[in-house]
Amino acid sequence: MARYILRRVLLALPALFGLVLLTFVLTRVIPGDPAATLAGDSATPAQIADIRARYGLDRPIWEQALVHVKQVLTGDLGSSIFSGRPVIEEIGFRLPATLELTFFALFLATAIGIPLGVVAALNHNGPVDQLVRLISVGGLAIASFWLALMLQLVFAMEWDVLPLRGRVEVELGTPPLRTGFLLIDSLLAGRLDQFRDALWHLVLPAVTLCLPGLASIARFTRSGMLEMLQKDFVLYARAAGYGRFRLYAIYVLRNAVTVTVTQIGLLFGALISGAVAVEAIYDWPGLGTYAVQAILSADYKALLAVTLVVGVVYAAVNVLVDVVQALVDPRVAEDIR
Amino acid sequence: MRLIAALLATALLAVPPAMAQQRPLIWGDTLPATLDPHAIFDVPSQFILLNAYDGLYRYQGNPPQLTPWLVERHTTSADGLTWEFTLREGVKFHDGTPMTSEDVAYSFRRLLAMNRAPAAAFSPVLKPEGISTPDERTVRFVLSAPYAPFLAALPLVAVVNAKLLQANTVNDDWGAAWLAANDAGSGAYRMDPATYRTRTSLDLERFAEHFLGWAHNRRPIDQVRSRPIMETSTRVLALLRGEIDAGDSYLPTDQVERVERNARTRVQKDESMRVFIIRMNNRKPPFDNLDARLCFAHAFNYEGFNTIILKGLVVRNAGPNPNSLWGNPPNLAPYAFDLAKAKEHCDRARAAGSPIGREIEIHIQSELEQTTQAAQMFQADLRRVGINLKIVPNTWANITAATARAESTPDTWIHWVSSYFIDPENWIGQMYDSRFHGTWKASSWYRNERVDAMLAQARGSLDRAERERLYQEATRIVVAESPDIWVYNTLNLRGVSRRVQGWNFSPVGSGGELRTLWLEN
Repeated sequence: MARYILRRVLLALPALFGLVLLTFVLTRVIPGDPAATLAGDSATPAQIADIRARYGLDRPIWEQALVHVKQVLTGDLGSSIFSGRPVIEEIGFRLPATLELTFFALFLATAIGIPLGVVAALNHNGPVDQLVRLISVGGLAIASFWLALMLQLVFAMEWDVLPLRGRVEVELGTPPLRTGFLLIDSLLAGRLDQFRDALWHLVLPAVTLCLPGLASIARFTRSGMLEMLQKDFVLYARAAGYGRFRLYAIYVLRNAVTVTVTQIGLLFGALISGAVAVEAIYDWPGLGTYAVQAILSADYKALLAVTLVVGVVYAAVNVLVDVVQALVDPRVAEDIR
Repeated sequence: MRLIAALLATALLAVPPAMAQQRPLIWGDTLPATLDPHAIFDVPSQFILLNAYDGLYRYQGNPPQLTPWLVERHTTSADGLTWEFTLREGVKFHDGTPMTSEDVAYSFRRLLAMNRAPAAAFSPVLKPEGISTPDERTVRFVLSAPYAPFLAALPLVAVVNAKLLQANTVNDDWGAAWLAANDAGSGAYRMDPATYRTRTSLDLERFAEHFLGWAHNRRPIDQVRSRPIMETSTRVLALLRGEIDAGDSYLPTDQVERVERNARTRVQKDESMRVFIIRMNNRKPPFDNLDARLCFAHAFNYEGFNTIILKGLVVRNAGPNPNSLWGNPPNLAPYAFDLAKAKEHCDRARAAGSPIGREIEIHIQSELEQTTQAAQMFQADLRRVGINLKIVPNTWANITAATARAESTPDTWIHWVSSYFIDPENWIGQMYDSRFHGTWKASSWYRNERVDAMLAQARGSLDRAERERLYQEATRIVVAESPDIWVYNTLNLRGVSRRVQGWNFSPVGSGGELRTLWLEN
């Protein structure tokens, strides 16, 4: 298993290197001049040229790329050209916010999506199956920004039962940040009021974010289950007198869920990118809003760092998914060996 | 595991936490990208400039009056080159250090060395060696050429604590890395660096020892929480729900009635100095042709846009300077929406060989809805005179970068020109003098040698009457040549909680000064 994990990690490295180069080239060839934006309103061409020289933006692009790769390899992601602060510091505050939201959304999508898929498969073409199909199509079709606005209007404005925005009530404050995950930090600080408040704030953004993933997981689980239910071993197990719960929950689901696990890994990427719109609407101080601000102000240093960090997290989650898959179905690791 | 499950269940079943009855002021407007007042120059940075720092002068009231702030008096030499300022006594920085003329001199030298945008107003006429401090309370500036807007531009410069910055300087950076997230001011509010997260949160606390004292405000606000909300719809909902006490100064006009109707909120409406403008690239055909420009000027439905779309919450502006500014010619007639006249001018331009039939791009700022609305309306009306206008979504950063060269400047684009300092130089001076070509403000690439000469003369003259005459004359010529389309002067619309009282609006800073505010229980 250790060799298997090592191989998966090594395979991720060239992909990350490609990401570093590609994103650098993309951010430097798209329109926009960070020097002009940084110089600010009323800046003269001489001021802009001065800033361009100071940040090395006047050098050939290959030279800039080389400097960038060198910096990344030494763990230096540079400073935001606008805030003047190291981007790693800024990301360090925002990444846990995005991960907390994404993991919570993934948890909801999995915890609801898999049972829905199982129930739908066991009621193949029945009313429950039709309902799950409707939820699946709806979940994939509804635009998240529209859903977010509707949920805000209903649950926060009309019924006043859930918070409108943010991670925590301003006056309640935040616990001392140890992990950056408010749910964990509030528990570590013994502040149940903050834990409850943070959880409460997570509900609407996570529900909005998880819906497409939930739909997708339900569909994959359903089709996996349907496929497995046709297999001979199921027929044999039935004939041998296995109980329904044991048969479906242990034998059929375990075989059916391998595809779903792969899907969860891919979904994570979709959730991170979907978080941009969700974070903006729910005023969630995560990487998504940071990326939007970086794009609007042509802060290429911040943008490069965000894409790299997201890339690393995405690669790590995929390695993790591969490991889980190998645990669920040891043949996967065997095949690769 | 059971404990976590129990906690989850409790949390999900419990009612949301009740809001505290008494709260500090929650400010929902945008925070600038950095706390360094010399490193950035935009509308959000004015919040830091006005509240955490002080300058030699400050604009107060509406119409804005240039008011001595850190200075008691000043003298100017007859040739307009030497300016000497005597500082007030007893001004202290937030760390208790007394402010001296050295701090003022250091602040201007730092500004010039960093060479970011606020420096643009001074760098053509002021060099570091021209700044001296004859004594602790006197600072002297010797300019290389007479520059009338010098005094008007002084409020742009925050005076920083020189000793504190020198102690935090690394690699000759003038303390830039440190000041990006720290406080070195003397302003009415002290920033708490521990609470600062870039563009996300900042807490401020009242500085009881501010040099002006607090006698003017019986119940000043002690604690301010700046919590910017990026998305307009969420910001408005948060205001309506009582989560924030003030939004930004761009409340969409279609939300005004809703905010007014709410029992908790109202709209603070103040005539500002921010001109909405459609730029035309005068170097690019067809806009190098006067008839083509006049065709466009007559094809915009000013009345429809201002009255119907913006619900009459703006004031028609005939030229580049805001209506309420001095230097405007009396009875300056604005262009009227007249498609017959537009067609006439278009036909003339076509007959002169101008490629008015080509697809013409208009660049909008995607995140600012009004620019889209204006472009869509313009597109529909221009189609009626046979012009094909293509709307190109873009960002401020990209467009301003493109305006560095005439070839890359869009055919047309939409923006506002805000008030950074109150002088015609801020508008007509920097927009239509060809010496500013390459800056976004002069992005119509208009050139008229007579106008250039008049604007240069006005810039160098200390005689207000002469300056007024020159600006009036220059404005008449510019408006007649229609290099751009001037649409309206803004009414500043900010949604605020009804508990916020003591509003003291000034167009510079869009009313973001907290010193006079108090909260009603």
